[in-house]
Amino acid sequence: MDSSNTVEATVDAPLVDRDLAYAIEQFLYREARLLDGERYEEWLELMAEDIHYWMPGIQARYRADKVAKISLSRMAYFDDDLDYLRKRVERARQTTAWAEDPPTRHFHMVTNIEVQPTERPNEWTVHSLVFNLRHRNEAEQLELTARRRDLIRQEATGVLKIARRFIQLQQTVLQAKNINTFL
Amino acid sequence: MSFSHPQSRQTEDADALRGLVDPKQGWLDRSIFWDPAIYAVELERIFARSWIFVAHDTQVPNVGDFLTTYVGEDAVIVSRARDNKVHVFINSCSHRGNRVCFAEAGTARRFTCNFHGWSYGLDGALSGVTAEHLYKNNPTFDRKKLGLHKARVESYGGMHFANFDPDAPSLADYLGDFRWYLDIILDNDEGGIEFIDGNIKSRLKCNWKFPAENFIGDAYHATWTHSSALLALFGKVPEMHADRSYQVNANGHGWEFGTDFVGNAATLCEPEIVDYLRESEAMFQERLGKTRSRMVGSLSSATVFPNLSFLAGHNTFRTWNPKGPTETELHTWVFLNRNAPDALKEKYRRGVMLTFSPAGVFEMDDGENFEHCTASNAGVVTRRRKLHTGLGLGSEIDHPELKGHVHQNQINEANHRAFYQRWVDLMTAPIWADVPAR
Ligand code: FES
Ligand SMILES: [Fe+2]
Repeated sequence: MDSSNTVEATVDAPLVDRDLAYAIEQFLYREARLLDGERYEEWLELMAEDIHYWMPGIQARYRADKVAKISLSRMAYFDDDLDYLRKRVERARQTTAWAEDPPTRHFHMVTNIEVQPTERPNEWTVHSLVFNLRHRNEAEQLELTARRRDLIRQEATGVLKIARRFIQLQQTVLQAKNINTFL
Repeated sequence: MSFSHPQSRQTEDADALRGLVDPKQGWLDRSIFWDPAIYAVELERIFARSWIFVAHDTQVPNVGDFLTTYVGEDAVIVSRARDNKVHVFINSCSHRGNRVCFAEAGTARRFTCNFHGWSYGLDGALSGVTAEHLYKNNPTFDRKKLGLHKARVESYGGMHFANFDPDAPSLADYLGDFRWYLDIILDNDEGGIEFIDGNIKSRLKCNWKFPAENFIGDAYHATWTHSSALLALFGKVPEMHADRSYQVNANGHGWEFGTDFVGNAATLCEPEIVDYLRESEAMFQERLGKTRSRMVGSLSSATVFPNLSFLAGHNTFRTWNPKGPTETELHTWVFLNRNAPDALKEKYRRGVMLTFSPAGVFEMDDGENFEHCTASNAGVVTRRRKLHTGLGLGSEIDHPELKGHVHQNQINEANHRAFYQRWVDLMTAPIWADVPAR
């Protein structure tokens, strides 16, 4: 990851086949709908066994600062494998998950989907933007915006899976008491 | 209720403030979590006079390293200057008041203001003025007096604290007997601790005292609020034992704890962490004695008055920075023993993230409570009834070893009461000399 700018610079990648781009778009839209519906077990099914789901903490540093603005050794909101993701879902499923009851009204909007080829024929780098609103209780409205970079893999069975997800939150100070959702 | 500026404060103000909290019986007036006038006094009399944690030594290891943070609502720069000491000064230019540093961390040779270009050294002294000849023979322009407003800085076990009151006691006296407890995490290994890189920050719409009091003594909420996380991770909630657990406090700082050694550490879900603690038990005993060694990773939580909290075993420090009477900015760090194996660093980092970061399975349910404890006080009728904080009245005991005030049973609100005792002491004392040792 480029240290001076966390937005990916690759803009000249060749276009992928239209059917493939369409399939991946539909896959991401469906994923968003699963999250809106808190269908977390089905959502976990979209993850590859070796998923790395990473939402690092973002630091506001000067442009001239050579230190990386994000880093794997730094604190993160999520730096999860499948086991960690399952644990989070397991908590949300308890009847004593007080912060989930009454349920949050989730809104996941996914846009600016760009599909780029990788060196492997069955894996693609997929850029997207997510706009997420969580409405809770009477008037709570929490807004998250993030830039995502996924590695989407087509498994031997033909099924698409998310193998890597990098989520770059746009807030350096999270404007919310928690993140009781996935992006 | 309204409170005048401290300099012109009348005694009725102090009496009114004293009427708000009854630390002996455990009654709290809800206005202390809501009233902007009371909050204004807190900024003056608590945050501008107390020792506020600003950085651990390992966050600014080299000359020129800096970070920006807050003392109350005052933005400050924490920087290691050429004298190799850590300096803390107000992050606002002496000329027109612009913010001087906008990065949250980095390395600098100086801090230069964007407005007219005045620059300040790593110790906050005014070092450069654009077109300085314009000030030639100017009777009020005195470079020496125009540096950034400096705080006193003192440290304990590598933890740097800032204080803007020249009359405040030393950090050592301020911490008092609580130093003996801080050693349990800061000095259980000769290498001391280090902070892992990065600082997660988040905003909660709550009064800063709700989380501060929660960490000082609310073992009571642990198995109820966090039932979902405990069930998800372990399938059951842990037992706390009245006869083997305590609350201790000194000068308004407090720690509630069991003597189970690894209870907190185990909830990180990284078995290597518990293994490390068990393998190091003999070393902990040698350095701390048997009693304190049992607290290194036990089921516990603690707050250093007013707003530095930590969890032994989970290895997280956090500060609750006030942003108005009903908003708080939480800063979270992970720490571990500097001499611990490198692989463990990764375990703690991931473990804290899974449990006690804003997306963590434990922390998730805390914010919801703190926010609604605050918001409900919008109601004028709601505010007419006081809150009961009387759990464990009469539980104080004499203990042959434990220092400060000792209460039997960690499920207790003795530490809450000690916190509010210190709060009202400071809120009503015109000068530090009037603040009793507690
Ligand atoms: S405000 Fe900083 S130089 Fe003028
Ligand atoms: Fe809690």
